[in-house]
Amino acid sequence: MIAVARLVAAKDLRIEARSRVLLWQVLPFGVIALLLSGLALGPAQAGNSSAGPGLFYLVTLFVTLLMINRSQSLENAPGTRASVATLGLDPAGVFLGKALALTVELWVTGIVLLAGSVLVLHTALIGTVQALPSILVTLATLAVAGTLYGALTQGGDGPATLLPVLTLPAFAPLLIAGERSFSAALHGGALWEWWVIVLVALVAYTAVGILLYGVLEES
Amino acid sequence: MIKLSQRLLGPVTLACLAATFVLGLWVTPEDRTQKNLVRLLYVHPPIAWVALYVSFGTATIASCLYLWRRTRSMTMDRIAYCAMEVSVVFIILTLITGSIWGRPTWGVWWAWDARLTSTAILGVFALAYLALRRANDDPTLRARRSAVFAILTAVNVPIIHFSVVWWKTLHQGASVLTSTGQLNVHGSMLLAMLLGFVGFTLLFFWLLRERYRLEVKRDARSIATLDEALALRRREGV
Amino acid sequence: MTGSLTPVEPPRSSSRSSRRSLGVIGVLVIVVIVLLSQGLLTSLNYFETVDQALAQRATLGTKVIRLEGVVVPGTISRTNDGASFTIAGSGRERVYVSAQGSPPQLFQASIPVVVVGHFVSPTSLQFDGTQIMVKHTSSYIAAHPGRVTAPNGTSR
Repeated sequence: MIAVARLVAAKDLRIEARSRVLLWQVLPFGVIALLLSGLALGPAQAGNSSAGPGLFYLVTLFVTLLMINRSQSLENAPGTRASVATLGLDPAGVFLGKALALTVELWVTGIVLLAGSVLVLHTALIGTVQALPSILVTLATLAVAGTLYGALTQGGDGPATLLPVLTLPAFAPLLIAGERSFSAALHGGALWEWWVIVLVALVAYTAVGILLYGVLEES
Repeated sequence: MIKLSQRLLGPVTLACLAATFVLGLWVTPEDRTQKNLVRLLYVHPPIAWVALYVSFGTATIASCLYLWRRTRSMTMDRIAYCAMEVSVVFIILTLITGSIWGRPTWGVWWAWDARLTSTAILGVFALAYLALRRANDDPTLRARRSAVFAILTAVNVPIIHFSVVWWKTLHQGASVLTSTGQLNVHGSMLLAMLLGFVGFTLLFFWLLRERYRLEVKRDARSIATLDEALALRRREGV
Repeated sequence: MTGSLTPVEPPRSSSRSSRRSLGVIGVLVIVVIVLLSQGLLTSLNYFETVDQALAQRATLGTKVIRLEGVVVPGTISRTNDGASFTIAGSGRERVYVSAQGSPPQLFQASIPVVVVGHFVSPTSLQFDGTQIMVKHTSSYIAAHPGRVTAPNGTSR
């Protein structure tokens, strides 16, 4: 399972490194979305950073949705799914690999967006650094859950529009928990409490993915 | 015996609901603090019970049975789908009746407390399930995916149930399914409420049965349409 | 890929897969236990009780909170744009509320209420409310005594 996961993750990351979709499409979109939120608040409000964590996670949500679809569409070329199926790869490994690759990509995006929110939304630098572990865990959870939900939407009508409908109710608690622990790092408050829920969700989604991903892929 | 109970399902449901309404509106007394508002007790909890436990439970169990190889059949998939569709109706009714009750008692139509929020999220999940089904044409693919999604969604149900225990909510705790097993509803009010539970549960099964029959006919129809089209093509070819 | 056309091994035997399923279900059970043992996110509470609010006066300051307490009988006085009353915690703690906006229909003495608002100053027991909500209990008792018999046999 681990070997397959490593193989799939390396494959996805290599495709990403060569196609540069993340660099030239997703990151610019995220940065522009962040700038626009700063503009929408206006200079006076943008300096007041209490909205920073919320806006960061809102932009992260948009970017995550794009990247889940991107990650799933790697197998969309005609015949790819069928030929991958004949390789006899362990589906749990495929799931872990895709989730791992997506996690790495989201981490890169997340760090760029964090730098952006420090610059544009004036979130405090020290608080942001303190919030970093919780943000990384939240992004990993979004990636794992997103891989599972992404697999549900592929191949049907309008996967790009179906994905937000399926994921939003599931992502909402994660985003709220992430936002709260980010806010707690900035303004003080219960940090660990929200951490625990994201961490537990990460373990639960990983377990469910290992169990059920095979069902989605089998034909 | 089965035939008889099938035939009686509709009439018995209507009788139970009618009796609930008569008891609820005319026979039962006013509540000490809530006065006449207490009459929503005979409607809102039973509807919520059906929405969260009976119909969502049916959909989840049917989905699990579909995924389990030994019991996999399109019947399970259809039951899950139909139960989920009925569930959407009942979740919406739960939110509406709750809102109507909340305004005069709490003073607000809606509060973002744990119980209300988690119920609303469940409603969105159920709608997403229907959206997922519409997006897939291939019956086995659709069945498998929606079964997985239903199971992912069902995690929310215990959270809703225990939300009033785990957290401090504006919504009151349980009156019947309490952790101590104590009943908090008295006399004829309890009778009317329990009758409501029976009536709305029967209503669910009635709706489920009719919806299931419709789904079977619809599937048969789509196969027949395909056959007709094929036959037409053949005749054109000759 | 070696280019060899020999068939690959089937992915996994069913006994291995069922062992893994059991392991995963075990992990899920542990997750639930961890969640339950954590006291589950007190931040998801809709309100602070009077006791809690007074215990953390220093950190609350004049932040907007939802405060819950039982209305002390005889303290309600209705004003033009709302009501002022005293709410009590479980002990002897009291908070003096003056709230704007018309109170809900059920608002009365001895009923638990949730008031949205803030303390006037970080040390005072005066609470300025913007909204009053009633949190009623889940007990339902008939209004007219003698008409209904309680489960323990007494008429009430």
